[in-house]
Amino acid sequence: MIKIRNLVKRFGKLEVLKDISFNVNQKEVVVVIGPSGSGKSTLLRCINLLETFQSGEIEVDGKTVHFTEKEINELRKNVGMVFQHFHLFPHKTVLENLTIAPMKVKNLDKNSANEKATALLKKVGLEDKMYVYPDSLSGGQKQRVAIARALAMEPKIMLFDEPTSALDPEMVGEVLEVMKQLAREGMTMVVVTHEMGFAKEVGDRVVFMDGGYIVEENNPKELFDAPQHKRTQDFLSKVL
Amino acid sequence: MDFRWDIVSEYMPYFLQGAGLTIVFSLVAIFIGTILGLFIGLGRMSEKKIISYIFVWYINFFRGTPIFVQILLIHFGAMPYFMNPVSPAVSLTVALTLNAAAYIAEIFRAGIQSIDKGQMEAARSLGMTKAQTMWHIIIPQAFKRMIPPLGNEFIALLKESSLGAVIAAPELMYWGRAASSAYYRTWEAYLPVAAGYLMLTLTLTYLLTKLEKRFNLS
Ligand SMILES: Nc1ncnc2c1ncn2[C@@H]1O[C@H](COP(=O)(O)OP(=O)(O)OP(=O)(O)O)[C@@H](O)[C@H]1O
Ligand SMILES: [Mg+2]
Repeated sequence: MIKIRNLVKRFGKLEVLKDISFNVNQKEVVVVIGPSGSGKSTLLRCINLLETFQSGEIEVDGKTVHFTEKEINELRKNVGMVFQHFHLFPHKTVLENLTIAPMKVKNLDKNSANEKATALLKKVGLEDKMYVYPDSLSGGQKQRVAIARALAMEPKIMLFDEPTSALDPEMVGEVLEVMKQLAREGMTMVVVTHEMGFAKEVGDRVVFMDGGYIVEENNPKELFDAPQHKRTQDFLSKVL
Repeated sequence: MDFRWDIVSEYMPYFLQGAGLTIVFSLVAIFIGTILGLFIGLGRMSEKKIISYIFVWYINFFRGTPIFVQILLIHFGAMPYFMNPVSPAVSLTVALTLNAAAYIAEIFRAGIQSIDKGQMEAARSLGMTKAQTMWHIIIPQAFKRMIPPLGNEFIALLKESSLGAVIAAPELMYWGRAASSAYYRTWEAYLPVAAGYLMLTLTLTYLLTKLEKRFNLS
């Protein structure tokens, strides 16, 4: 689904991604871990072109992407993104948060958009919050709405950037539960997270990044139980 | 003090008429100025340097020179190319509009830039175009924050419209000057004018406070 070849990303002189290559297969859940500043967010943001990059190639769903406005928008229809800080639209109700993009981007009529949104809200357990504004929701509820909002575009791939890092501990579970369900349904997912439990349980593959490189990638069991590289070992000994 | 009420009452109909026109000029200027200001503000934020530069200088000119000078330039310099004879009322309205647009452009820019970058990214990541995101996501949120500064601009505009007197646009101040030069009296001519502006600005302040409350509720 995603093929990344020799990706290099710089912010001014600072090289944040140094020759990154990796693939994500269909229905695969790839978990990206690594210390702060290692380039995890930047990698995700490059995949749906929220960041430009200096060299390398990204292929999504069989198509190499270029930075034309049209191709960018086309790509983003297929790639959903969930942010650490939710970024719900505060001036729109929960329902409207879910319907605006399908209506504006896919020209869905209001009734079908509402219908689909209602079904998605049911799925994340928030159908009773349809008509309230995001401000009145808890963090966990906001993030579930944000996931539903991304799903409303029927993406083929979902990217998650530390979806539970801004949540109170007691709300982490409800969001992870929704993500697990998505994984079970066969969604292709790339998840940046510090939730090692989630990585072990749901991840098909875990990628460890440090200093702009992919240091090591493997299935969760191998990577957690028998990390090959010293940097991976050091990192894991700190977080596990 | 021998205050000559008869002058006040003689000129009262003109004061009222002038106040009415003051309101009209200001309303037209704030309305068209807001629309123009939105485009100028967006143009100012354009990623294309040349476009941004043009609007920066538009804003610089209208904010960096006295509105008095602008009114004279527009009335005696620019308007004769467009109409003959030149109507002072039109000149004044044009000057106020162009001036207000520059200030409102900066209010828009500040409002738009005060919205969290995450809003733009979230909308773009859903496939919405830049224009759709601006129109449906960013501007509605920014607008709420723009109401107080827009209100201040409206009040400033209303007072600045008094400069129309120098080109004989028949607004409130114009009639103050007329009364003053007819009778060589100051208090009788300008106290009613001052009271008129005060009533207008206080009413406006009151309405704006109500509007703000209303927006904060929703
Ligand atoms: N817009 C930007 N401009 C300049 N530097 C940036 C920008 N965004 C990120 N960086 C830098 O790039 C590096 C990688 O950042 P990134 O956010 O990808 O790290 P991360 O692995 O997601 O870290 P964290 O776990 O803290 O979220 C950091 O050094 C960061 O300071
Ligand atoms: Mg990050």
